[in-house]
Amino acid sequence: MSRSKIVGAIEIGTSKVVVLVAEMADGRSMNIIGRGQSTNIGMKKGEIVDLSSVSDCTHAAIMAAEKSAGNQIQHVYLSFSGSHLRGFRHAGATAITGSGNVVTATDVQRAVENAKSKVLDPGQVYIHHIRNGFVLDGHPVESPVSRQGSHLEVQYWHVTADEKKVKDHIMVVNGFGLDVNDIVISCLASGSLLATEAEKKQGVLVVDIGKGTTDYVLYRGRRVVQTGVIPVGGDHVTNDLSLGLRVKSKLAENLKLRAARAMVQKEDRNEKVPLVGDLSIGDSFHSQLSINKITHARLEELFIILKNRLGSLLTRQNLPCGVILTGGVSKTPLIGDLAEVTLDVPVVVGQSPDWVRHSELREPEYATVLGLLYNALYDQKEEAVNPKAGQRKWLSKMTGLFN
Amino acid sequence: MEQPGFFPEQDPLMDGQMPDGTLRIKIIGVGGAGTNAVDRIKLEDLEQVHLTVIDTDNQVLSASPVEEAYLLGRNVTNGKSTGGSVDKGRMAAEADIEDLRRIVRGVDLVFILTGLGGGTGSGAAPVLAELAVSEGALVIAFTPMPFQREGSIRCERARKSLELMRKYCHAVISLPNDLIFKQVDDSATLMEAFAMADKWIKLGVHSIWSMLFNTGLINVDFSSLQSALAEPGGRTIFGTGYGKGENLLDQALQDLEKCPLLHLPEAGYFRDTDQLIINLTGGPDMTMATVNRAMDAVSEKFGCRNSLIMGASIDGSFYNQLRITVMGTVRSTANTKAYAPVPAASIPPNRPVAPPLKSAESFEEPASAAAAARRHQGEFAFPRQEENRGLFERTQQNLYEGEDLDIPTYLRRGIKILRS
Repeated sequence: MSRSKIVGAIEIGTSKVVVLVAEMADGRSMNIIGRGQSTNIGMKKGEIVDLSSVSDCTHAAIMAAEKSAGNQIQHVYLSFSGSHLRGFRHAGATAITGSGNVVTATDVQRAVENAKSKVLDPGQVYIHHIRNGFVLDGHPVESPVSRQGSHLEVQYWHVTADEKKVKDHIMVVNGFGLDVNDIVISCLASGSLLATEAEKKQGVLVVDIGKGTTDYVLYRGRRVVQTGVIPVGGDHVTNDLSLGLRVKSKLAENLKLRAARAMVQKEDRNEKVPLVGDLSIGDSFHSQLSINKITHARLEELFIILKNRLGSLLTRQNLPCGVILTGGVSKTPLIGDLAEVTLDVPVVVGQSPDWVRHSELREPEYATVLGLLYNALYDQKEEAVNPKAGQRKWLSKMTGLFN
Repeated sequence: MEQPGFFPEQDPLMDGQMPDGTLRIKIIGVGGAGTNAVDRIKLEDLEQVHLTVIDTDNQVLSASPVEEAYLLGRNVTNGKSTGGSVDKGRMAAEADIEDLRRIVRGVDLVFILTGLGGGTGSGAAPVLAELAVSEGALVIAFTPMPFQREGSIRCERARKSLELMRKYCHAVISLPNDLIFKQVDDSATLMEAFAMADKWIKLGVHSIWSMLFNTGLINVDFSSLQSALAEPGGRTIFGTGYGKGENLLDQALQDLEKCPLLHLPEAGYFRDTDQLIINLTGGPDMTMATVNRAMDAVSEKFGCRNSLIMGASIDGSFYNQLRITVMGTVRSTANTKAYAPVPAASIPPNRPVAPPLKSAESFEEPASAAAAARRHQGEFAFPRQEENRGLFERTQQNLYEGEDLDIPTYLRRGIKILRS
C-alpha cells in the first residue's frame, strides 16, 4: 500500500502569500486539498521589508490552508523572488583520461563538480544549478557516458541569491514549525507549469509580472537557458498612477484594476473614469488617456528592459514559441499587444494546463504556486524511487531538482 | 610691418586693461545688501579682483571700507535711498548710465551681488547687468532674496527683478533668505544670521575665483566657464560642499548633498542641466586618486545629459581639506522637463504667513511665459527627483542604466499627463 504525503507549496509573494496543500501518492498523482492565502503587507519589490508582518501573513495563510485541507502539512516547498537573485553561466570541464578515451561516470562527476565549484562572493549562496547539456570535443551530446572523446564540458546556468534574504524566507516558514524541503525560485515554478514540453524544446520565454517583480525564464531544448528578475511590477504601475494623477495609492490600485490598459487608443481621449466609481459625492473623474499613457509608459519600459537583458536570445528565430505572460499584471487589457509590438515575437497570455480544474486556481496569480506543486510532485517521485535521499537539509537539497 | 596683436585703433578707455591677457574680475555690490556682501568679501583679499560698491544711499557708501564706491543717481535721489521704489532705482541707474559703463568696461568677469526686493538692487542691478553683458563681460549674479515675512509686495518685486536679472545675466544664483536662515539656530544674533547669508555669497564667489586662479590639476579656465555660460537667460544651479580631515571626500559629498542652494524648488534636476561644471579645490596634498574618486561620485550623482566640465585646483592653504563646487545652467526655459514646484498652482499670490520652507517655494517659481503655460496645462511635477518614489520611498534605489526605475516612467521620459 502506498503511503500518501501531505505537501504544502508556499509562495511568499509581494501581493500575497498563497499556500496550497496537496495529497501526493508516490509521486504518481496529487490532489489539491486545501488553500490558504493572506494579503502580504511586509514586502516591496519582492523583498522583505518588515519581517514580522511577513511572518504573520505567512502563518495566517498556512493556518488557513491546513484548516481547509483538514490535515497537517508534512513537506514544504517554498518559492520566492527578489532582485537579489542573480544568474550566470559557468561551464565545468575535464579531460578524459581513462583507457580508450571512453567517458565514464566519474568523468562526468568530475566535470559537474568543476562547474559547481565556482566560489561566490561572500554572502551569496547557490539556489539552483541547472544543467544545460554536455559538450564532448565541441559537439553537444545528450548523455556522454560510454562515448569516446578527450574533452568533456558541462554547461550550467547557476542561480544565486543573497544568503541572508533566503534565510529570512526560510525562517518565516520555520517559525511555524515546518521544515523547508526545497526552494524553487518563482520563475522556474511558473515556467514549468505554463510552458508545454514542446514549447520548452523549441524555445519559449515565460514572463511572470507580479506585484513587486517581473521574473522570467527562457527555455530551449527542454532546458532552462536563462533566468532573471527585474525589480519592476504591478506596484510600479500603481505608484506611477498615484503620483501621476495625484490620488492615494489604494485608490490608484483600484483604478488600475478597473481601467488601466497597456496601450493608448484613439477613443481614450474622450473617456472619463470615475476614481471611486460608486456614484458618491466628491468622486473625481480621470481621463482614460492619462491612465493609459502612464500604464503604457511603465509596461513598455519593462519590456524594453527585458529585451535588452536577453539580447539576441529574444528574436523570432531563436524563440519560435515566443513569450508566455503570466502573473497578476498579465490580466491588464492589451498587454499582449504591447508585448508583441515591443518584443517583436509572438505573445500569449499563459493558460494553466487542463489538469487544473478549479476556476479560481486558473487565474495567473496562482501559476507560481501551482508550478511549485508540480515540481514537488516530480521531487516526491524521485524520493520514492530513491528513498535514501530522504529528508536532506535544504542547503544541500536545494539544488536537487534541476540536475 | 604691423606687429600681430597690436591694435592701434584700440579704444583709449581700454587702456586700463592689463596687456598680458590677465583676467580682470570685478565684484560689484549694488544696493545696501550688495554693499554689505562686498564689504565682507573685502576681508577675504582675493588677488586680481576689483571691488566696487554702488548705491543711491550716501550713508551706506560712506560706511563701506571699499575704495571704489559710486553714488548712483545724485540727481534722482539726492544721495538718499530710493525708499523701496524700483522705478527710482532704475531711473537712477539710467541717469548715470555712462558712469556705470565705465565701471564695467574692459572687465572679463563681473560678479553682481545684490539683495533683491529693495529699490536700488531691484531697479539698478538689471540695468547694470545688461550694460556689463553688452560690454562683453561674463556676468554672474548672486542675489539674496527677501524673507517671505517681509511682505508680499517686496517678494513680488524681488521675483520680477530676478526674472529680469535672469534675462540679462549669464548666471543668476539666487539665495532665498528663508532657506539660508533655516541653518541658523535660535540663539544666533542678527549679525551672525546676516553673516551667514554673506558667507554663502562669499563661498560662491570664492569657489569660482579659485576655480579660475588656483593652479589647476585639471584646469577649468575662464574660456571654459565662458563657453559653459555662453547664452544669458537660463536658470542656474549652484552648490558647494566642504570636507576636511580623514574622510574629507565623503564629508564633502555629504555636505554638497546638504547644500541648501541645491534644494531650491526651482533648481530642478541636475540631469536637466545643459552644461555642468564641477570643480574640486584641495590642498597640495590632494591626490589624483581623490580627484578621480570625487569626479566619479559627483558625475554619477549629477551627471548631465550634454556636457560636463571637470576641474581640480590646488589652494596652498587647503591642506587636508576639500571643497566641491557644482554649477550648471538650464538654458531653455521652454524645456518640458523643467519642473515647476508642486504648490505653485494652488497658492494665491498674497498668501499670509506660512512656514519658511514652503514660502520659499512659492515665491521662487519660475514665472516665465513657458512655465505659466505649463502650469495652465495642468502638468505638474516635484521639486526633487528623490521625492518621486511614492510607495518606494524608503526602499533601495532601483538603478538600471543610471535611471531609478522606482521613479515613474512618464516623469523620466517627460511624457505630459493631463489631469482632470
